[in-house]
Amino acid sequence: MATLLWLHGGACNGNTMSFLNAEYPSVCDLVTDFGIEILWHPSAGLEMGNQVQALLRDILAEKIPLDIFVFEGTVILGPNGTGRYNMFAGRPMKDWVYDLAHVAKYVVAVGNCACQGNIPAVPPNPTESTGLQFHKTKKGGFLGENFVSRGGLPVINIPGCPAHYDWITQVLVALAVGRAEDIQLDEYHRPLTFFKTFSQTGCTRVQFHEWKIAAEEFGQGTRKGCLFYELGCRGPLTHAPCNRILWNGVSSKQRSGHPCIGCTEFAFPWFDLAPGTIFKTQKVAGVIPKETVYEADKFTYMLHAVTARIAAPKWATEDMFVV
Amino acid sequence: MATKQHLVIDPLARLEGDVRADVFVEDGHVVDVQVEAVMFRGFEIILRGKDPLAGLIVTPRVCGICGGSHLYKACQALDTAWHTQVPPNAWWIRNIAQVCETLQSVPRWYYAIFAIDFVNKNYAKSKLYDEVVKRWAPFVGTSYKIGLEISALPVKIYAMFGGQWPHSSFMVPGGVMCAPQLDHITRAHALLERYRTEWLEKVWLGCSVDRWLENKTWDDILNWLEESESHRNSDCGLFIRFCLENGLDKYGAGVGNFIACGSYVDPQFYPVSTIEDRNKALLAPSGVVYNGKYYPFDHLNVREDVTHSYFEGSWMLHPWDEETIPVDPEVAKKQGKYSWAKSPRYLINGQPVPCEAGPLARQVVAGYEEAKHTCTAAGCVEHAIDPLFRNIVNKIGPSVMVRVLARMHEAVKYYKWAKQWLGKVDFKDDRFYNKPKELPDAKGFGGTEAARGALMDWIVLENGKIKNYQIVTPTAWNIGPRDSKGQMGPIEKAIVGSPVKNPEDPIEVAHVARSFDSCLVCTVHVYDRKSRKELARFKLGGTK
Repeated sequence: MATLLWLHGGACNGNTMSFLNAEYPSVCDLVTDFGIEILWHPSAGLEMGNQVQALLRDILAEKIPLDIFVFEGTVILGPNGTGRYNMFAGRPMKDWVYDLAHVAKYVVAVGNCACQGNIPAVPPNPTESTGLQFHKTKKGGFLGENFVSRGGLPVINIPGCPAHYDWITQVLVALAVGRAEDIQLDEYHRPLTFFKTFSQTGCTRVQFHEWKIAAEEFGQGTRKGCLFYELGCRGPLTHAPCNRILWNGVSSKQRSGHPCIGCTEFAFPWFDLAPGTIFKTQKVAGVIPKETVYEADKFTYMLHAVTARIAAPKWATEDMFVV
Repeated sequence: MATKQHLVIDPLARLEGDVRADVFVEDGHVVDVQVEAVMFRGFEIILRGKDPLAGLIVTPRVCGICGGSHLYKACQALDTAWHTQVPPNAWWIRNIAQVCETLQSVPRWYYAIFAIDFVNKNYAKSKLYDEVVKRWAPFVGTSYKIGLEISALPVKIYAMFGGQWPHSSFMVPGGVMCAPQLDHITRAHALLERYRTEWLEKVWLGCSVDRWLENKTWDDILNWLEESESHRNSDCGLFIRFCLENGLDKYGAGVGNFIACGSYVDPQFYPVSTIEDRNKALLAPSGVVYNGKYYPFDHLNVREDVTHSYFEGSWMLHPWDEETIPVDPEVAKKQGKYSWAKSPRYLINGQPVPCEAGPLARQVVAGYEEAKHTCTAAGCVEHAIDPLFRNIVNKIGPSVMVRVLARMHEAVKYYKWAKQWLGKVDFKDDRFYNKPKELPDAKGFGGTEAARGALMDWIVLENGKIKNYQIVTPTAWNIGPRDSKGQMGPIEKAIVGSPVKNPEDPIEVAHVARSFDSCLVCTVHVYDRKSRKELARFKLGGTK
């Protein structure tokens, strides 16, 4: 039994939409099987207007205990720190967020916006958006680097643009069944159980990566080859379980020929979307990827790459995923 | 004696983003209203100076509900800017993905967003109340659970082609990133069949999709309702009976003008992506209906009016020339501005006209034979030209009920189309992408029909960077504030005239706002027209 309140700041509702796709457990299962009482959710709550305001006041007065406070979207501080670019229930949303985070047992940031500011915070950051406890890769964010909720944990960050439904529901179940202590967090407060491995872990193209066979172009070319060398895939560099816990239960970006865009890392969107950086691998001397998973020097990398390509079996240059 | 009341809803909720509206009530009816969108994120500002492809990553994140639709039109804006030659297979995959996003939206919206308001205690005296609660109560209602589960199926199809839903960026100028295999196509068929058998026919219609599509008039639908117990007892049957019993067919009309920019492309009519050839290639027709007359859609007639929006200026510009300069609401209010939404208008004979966007708009436009001639491809596909909703609107007028029914009708049509289009993917032609020549200086326009209506992008490229990017959403068409001529947008207009039976709980206003399925969280303030004093606050019964 746990109470849950979910609010939207500078949000697109993508994390809610992802959440509603949940399968095991489904959103209905969370309510009926795990006793999670959803006090209110902006897209699913029956209550409106004054009832919501009364509920929020009761939570702040601690008449209603709040076990899990879920926040989706950026904390909007603009203009000039007033928060007036995002009003909610009669006051700036940032003020509600601050107060609720300080009475909640656990605070969960779902999606990159709440984790680190994400796309709304890309320069020039017109809304002065930031994340709950990080601003991009820098710790601090809206609540400050020392914030710890009453349950003894900092903001639990479930990054991604959006966060996968399964990452959200499993964390909620862990909190609901009393396993908060087992949630180990990395330096960005991401649950290690999901974010220790890479987006590449489980990728069906990983053999092409090993043999250094590149996909050159989108479309037909991507039934074969690795998306890392030319098309900007960040799979080997991104902490995420996208090829282990499939999207919508059926696929992943790489499996569909879509380069990983590294959306669970706090530097996302990479290079602030500067010209020449989207779906293109950044290279040194036009050949060597600027960022590689190798710790060796560039010469050793080149040697390894050439050797691998020479040694590659015939199938590695063929269309492996045939019609 | 006239009653004059001021009620406050803050937040109204279940619409993405924030909205507040001032509603003035006399004699139990709304006589005036102001709707205010109160959240700003500045995506158009962020896009300036960025990579031309940035729109593919950024615009799906404008709205996670319609992210695939944002991608579709952002991609098309670059296609038209660069005159790409998209292979036929890529168009079919784009169409299938796009239509699946709407197939997802229909049950998810109906059960999670709309129908739960019928559980409101205001309706406790309805003969149908117990049945409504049993089926449509949030999280525990029998149909609610099925509806939510089934809504996750069409987006599995999207994910097979796009890697994930929401927020894929798999459509690129020149085609798509994926190269599907046979099992993706067969699995997509299976998922669509499950959607039809487990929900669309079994729960929603109580009949076959083909039987439903025989309905061409409002009288047909009334006859269909009485034809069998399974029709009457279906969720659709219950919805219609509940609406007629409670008067939801009597209010929420709106402006009576409709816009559809059209969507889904037949590649044989579109070998090269140009703005000029777009209309004729559309499978879901475009058009504007004004005063009951059809006008072909031309993006050059779109304007954005910012007179009452929290942006600098009081101009009305075409999106290629539009600016987006935010003003602090505290300052802007003193200039008579009251919303973050802009007010899109369509020029008819040079005059700016407010138009409703959405499923009802699409279906009314589809009721005109002229649409067939403008959009040649639509004339070739079954159910694209469809008289049903033009007939219903002529017969009983637009309303909350009719608007919702149009949305649900599309699930049936789009199921059929998705099945047909899967059949068009031809593995003998294995091209899914033609690398385009990226022009550093160009202008583009892309449009589609998101689940909630016409969604369009305009892009200006200069020196290989984005110089200007403007997005006009269906929600802006519907929820935008008054324009420079004082004309209300569709939602403001639709709320005026709505009954407010219980001032403690004016659920009718919520029904009207929700029937448009706006992507905004709504705050409704109902004021005493004279004293402007708050008399009561909006409370919803709830289940607690």
